[in-house]
Amino acid sequence: MKDKVAVIGVGCTKFGERYERGYEELICDAAFAAYEDAGIDPSLIEAAYFGAYMPGPHGGKSAVSLADALKIYGKPITRVENYCATGTDAFRNACLAVASGVYDVVLVLGAEKLKDRGGRGLPRFGHPLLARGNTAPGLFALGATRYMHTFGCGRETLAKVAVKNHWNGARNEKAHLRQEITVEQVLKAPMIASPFGLFDCCPTTDGAAAAIVCRADMAKQWRKPPVWVKGAALAVETGRPFFDPTFDYLGFRSTVKAAQAAYAMAECGPKDISFADVHDCFTWTEISNIEDLGFYEKGQGWRAVEAGETALGGKIPINTSGGLKSFGHPIGASGVRMIYECVTQLRGECGERQVKNARLGMAHNVGGPGAVACVVILGNA
Amino acid sequence: MIGIARLGTYFPRRRMDRALIGNAWGGKASGTRTVAAIDEDAFTMGVEAVAACVGDSPPPDVGALYFASTSAPYLEKQIASMVATAADLPREIATADFAGSVRAGLGALRAALDGVGAGSLRAALVVAADCRLAEPGGELEPQLGDGAAAALVGRHEVVAELVTAASVSEEFTYTWRTDEQRYVQVADARFGNQYGVQHDVPDAVGAALRKAELPASKVARLAVALPDPRAAAAVARKAGLNPETQLVPSLLSDAGVLGAAEPLILLSRALEGLQPGDFVVVAGYGEGADAFVFRATHALLAHPPRPVAQALAGGIPIASYERYLRARGVLPLDVGGELVPTYIEWKELKQDTRLWGSRCTACGLVQYPQEVVCMGCHAAGKTVEHKLRREGTVFTFTIDNLAQVPEHPMPMVVAELDDGGRIYLQGTDCAEGDIAVGSRVRLTYRRLHQAGGNRNYYWKVRPA
Repeated sequence: MKDKVAVIGVGCTKFGERYERGYEELICDAAFAAYEDAGIDPSLIEAAYFGAYMPGPHGGKSAVSLADALKIYGKPITRVENYCATGTDAFRNACLAVASGVYDVVLVLGAEKLKDRGGRGLPRFGHPLLARGNTAPGLFALGATRYMHTFGCGRETLAKVAVKNHWNGARNEKAHLRQEITVEQVLKAPMIASPFGLFDCCPTTDGAAAAIVCRADMAKQWRKPPVWVKGAALAVETGRPFFDPTFDYLGFRSTVKAAQAAYAMAECGPKDISFADVHDCFTWTEISNIEDLGFYEKGQGWRAVEAGETALGGKIPINTSGGLKSFGHPIGASGVRMIYECVTQLRGECGERQVKNARLGMAHNVGGPGAVACVVILGNA
Repeated sequence: MIGIARLGTYFPRRRMDRALIGNAWGGKASGTRTVAAIDEDAFTMGVEAVAACVGDSPPPDVGALYFASTSAPYLEKQIASMVATAADLPREIATADFAGSVRAGLGALRAALDGVGAGSLRAALVVAADCRLAEPGGELEPQLGDGAAAALVGRHEVVAELVTAASVSEEFTYTWRTDEQRYVQVADARFGNQYGVQHDVPDAVGAALRKAELPASKVARLAVALPDPRAAAAVARKAGLNPETQLVPSLLSDAGVLGAAEPLILLSRALEGLQPGDFVVVAGYGEGADAFVFRATHALLAHPPRPVAQALAGGIPIASYERYLRARGVLPLDVGGELVPTYIEWKELKQDTRLWGSRCTACGLVQYPQEVVCMGCHAAGKTVEHKLRREGTVFTFTIDNLAQVPEHPMPMVVAELDDGGRIYLQGTDCAEGDIAVGSRVRLTYRRLHQAGGNRNYYWKVRPA
């Protein structure tokens, strides 16, 4: 995989409550932005991978929404749905399709309109009796409770993740929540699922993002300098960790496995990564992630947050985009949006948020919680 | 020797200060009443009572389970069978529901005693539970309480030996609820007591004592389940007993009138502190009356029922009258959610209701739900069914405010079950701080949600 595939264009809509823009319109906005970014004629797209957790009103559980929005007909489009790793897994599949030599130019697009469904959070799927009553924050909270019990960190530390990511997001015009917040605000917010209050949780967001990947040997003919795919790996673990007597609830094995595989593909290690957009669906998840991804030892990630090492300009800047926490989390779009952040950082286009001397960037999703994780490593050289 | 070998009582944890009713409607009722939680009904309370009576592994010789209630959650669907399944009794068991009046609990007891006496049953479980609904603002509302009891009837380790039983039965309109009514109806209480209760109950008690050739003065305690403690005292006097010394005190001030469960609960209370050879009379009313004379045995000293006061301890106050109305479904609440398909219920009965998981014969790991491939060592096809313990310790938890459930905050708990297996369940009956990493929990079979025109039941955890 390493250096066989390049990202030649990316696009991202404004994330937020997009009641005014339809599902297929968001798809168009993201795709056209990516076409424009690459300076490519859409007719050159040979295949597409469509990340959508709950597709829009017309498409159903298929790839049809993407085809109908963009009028890409007669070509192979595959819909990918893999919990919160949907976007990065769609990207991974597109890379595999190009690396296999079957296609030269492939579109990846993730889109989600969560707000149109009404209610709060995500609708529940699953067994009618077993694990009933679970919610996304409630499921991750089980890990946070155990982590805090084991390693002794408090809600203040979790709050600092939110404060940092809001600081980044406030400087990102496409982010959903753009206000800076304080630790005190986080701690005083209404409880959602203990230990998570409102500001420990990512918002429910609409948005779409796109990336165009192509064969490495044809990557330099487009408008912008290419960004190289160094590694992309997926790992699936149990979707019912709460029933697994061997699970310690201190982190996610899927992230550990996916990261190991991605590092091996990219022939690098955690120390080589310049910055990472990781899956901060909830504040604690980010702390767990930076340990599971190898940036910190297990149980030490919260100390790094306390020390400010994950802030922009810190030892390993995490979620310079604002993360899911501030940028928003439209499930299928999020992973592709992380690719967008990595590519724009690696091209040096991020202005105030720019990571200095960025060489290798990482995008990471984990969903389930812990059932699926996808890690993508991109580089600009 | 035939009689009652074990008695268990169960009270829902919620308590309503009767002052809340007074605040809402006027009037000055005092004391507290027990209130079934929003996820409880006569069925789930019956399951709890069985556990209180015989634990989670009922004796293998139980050949029948009889369930008695006037407030069963189904008009057509047998609760006794549902209780037997949740209690993981064997399939090869006779079950029947008793209903129609609060005398149903004693009717079920009589059927069990007769079955054991006739030799057709070696042992039987009698389960009685009620959470009757009174009209909001009506005179009955402060009186009623919710509770359940179960009795193991048999010949082995009998603590209360049956001496005699007597009944009278005659139509009398006092308390009723038609198939179109939601709330219990009461006719003129003074007339009903004078011409119904005081006519029938002393007759039944007198007949039982005569059959036993037992003078009233030799009765250690009379347990008579009636809505009004003064009526009970009058019964005692009419039967020749001294209410001051021989009558078991009513539970009205701490729990309320407990319907079909009350005679068994009062019997349990009557047995507290008795000596072998002491006589107890238990009686109840409803379009007639039943009375039983029991004699305490030596086994009572070894296996005394858990004191009723202990079963009543540790209540959680309900914050408002409105919350009581919601808990009892008087204030309706639409909760989304899917019906459990009957196909899944059938397929997973042992896993979901009897609560059996798997044990890996390769590595020994106990796990839930049932697995083909072991979660621990990944050995394929080495798992066997394994009955899970219904007690455990909190491994981790959250207090959730987001889930689509009728009451928040709701604990969601990952618990490690005693002797293996990890399970993830909703918490119920929790006061603030009850759930913590390492705290002890007990599984309880509750109403999980209502959807598709049906009720779906599943396990939850409550503080142990």
